[in-house]
Amino acid sequence: MKINEYIESGILEAYVLGSASKAEAEELLYMKAKHPEVLEALLELELDIEHIAQGMAIIPPVGTWEKIEAGINEVIKAKDSGALTLDMPFEDRGSRTKSRKGSQFIEVEAESGHMRIRKIWRWIFVGVFLLGKIFLACAIYFYLENRHNEQELEQLKYELKIQSPR
Amino acid sequence: MLHRRSNGDMLKTNQQIVTGKKSESIRFLYDKYAGMLLGYVVEITKDRATAEKFLVNFFCDLPGQLGERNCEGLDNWCQLQRYARERLDIFMNSKHEAEAVRPTNLMMHGARDKYLDQLSEEQRQVFCDVYYYRKSIEVISSELKKTEDSIRKTLKEAFAIMRKSGEN
Repeated sequence: MKINEYIESGILEAYVLGSASKAEAEELLYMKAKHPEVLEALLELELDIEHIAQGMAIIPPVGTWEKIEAGINEVIKAKDSGALTLDMPFEDRGSRTKSRKGSQFIEVEAESGHMRIRKIWRWIFVGVFLLGKIFLACAIYFYLENRHNEQELEQLKYELKIQSPR
Repeated sequence: MLHRRSNGDMLKTNQQIVTGKKSESIRFLYDKYAGMLLGYVVEITKDRATAEKFLVNFFCDLPGQLGERNCEGLDNWCQLQRYARERLDIFMNSKHEAEAVRPTNLMMHGARDKYLDQLSEEQRQVFCDVYYYRKSIEVISSELKKTEDSIRKTLKEAFAIMRKSGEN
């Protein structure tokens, strides 16, 4: 196939818009490296698509950049404090500042302000608390049982002592 | 102690420089592509409010993304558009957005019409399927029951017509 035919086939358009198959993309990369005309056509096409997109652009409403800037600053602040989850959507982050419900952290009161820990610790704390209660109940039970047994033993010893002189 | 503090300050300064650079890069990308991106996303979501929400979300998440990607990798409309499309799929698939978005298919705007009105029905369908909905040539050809070559030709023709419309 001649280079001009290749360029005119529409494969470049499909590639630039991400619709080319893997084999087509590989072929195009090879052709691009081998033939400068293909590279030139590709760059020209990218510019054309950009011009078309410019023609279809909608001006964002006033205040959009301010919202973005505030979001970025929040990300930077959270990063500095070392307690950031970058994968959380921005809107969630915004609502987290208003209401802490549903976030991945629970707040613990400390001497100097607040500290954030993972929610999983809540269940660990509950588990440790319940285990503590179970061990305490067991300890009291065995203590009483032991005291009762000792009393019975004393009683038996006493009875044996009384019976032995006879 | 003093030594540690000065090291910490130095690290912080470096981080601020990196953050500052990123912030400048994002401002640059915003100034250059925000309008184009909004026009593109409005057409896909069919909902201006959702598109604006996505735009804010997209640029807010960019500092993290710029850490992983080379900033220059997004310094081109085609690459930015492809990346935005990936992010939009995630955004639209989130439960919250799925509930919020109610596509009407009636959302049109003059600038878009100026370009698409010049195309035949088939050219418009092929262009929209590729550009907005990222369908592969193979899928479009099976949907339209035409050969892949003819679909690629139609796409090329659509581009040529739109390019001319832009020049006029």
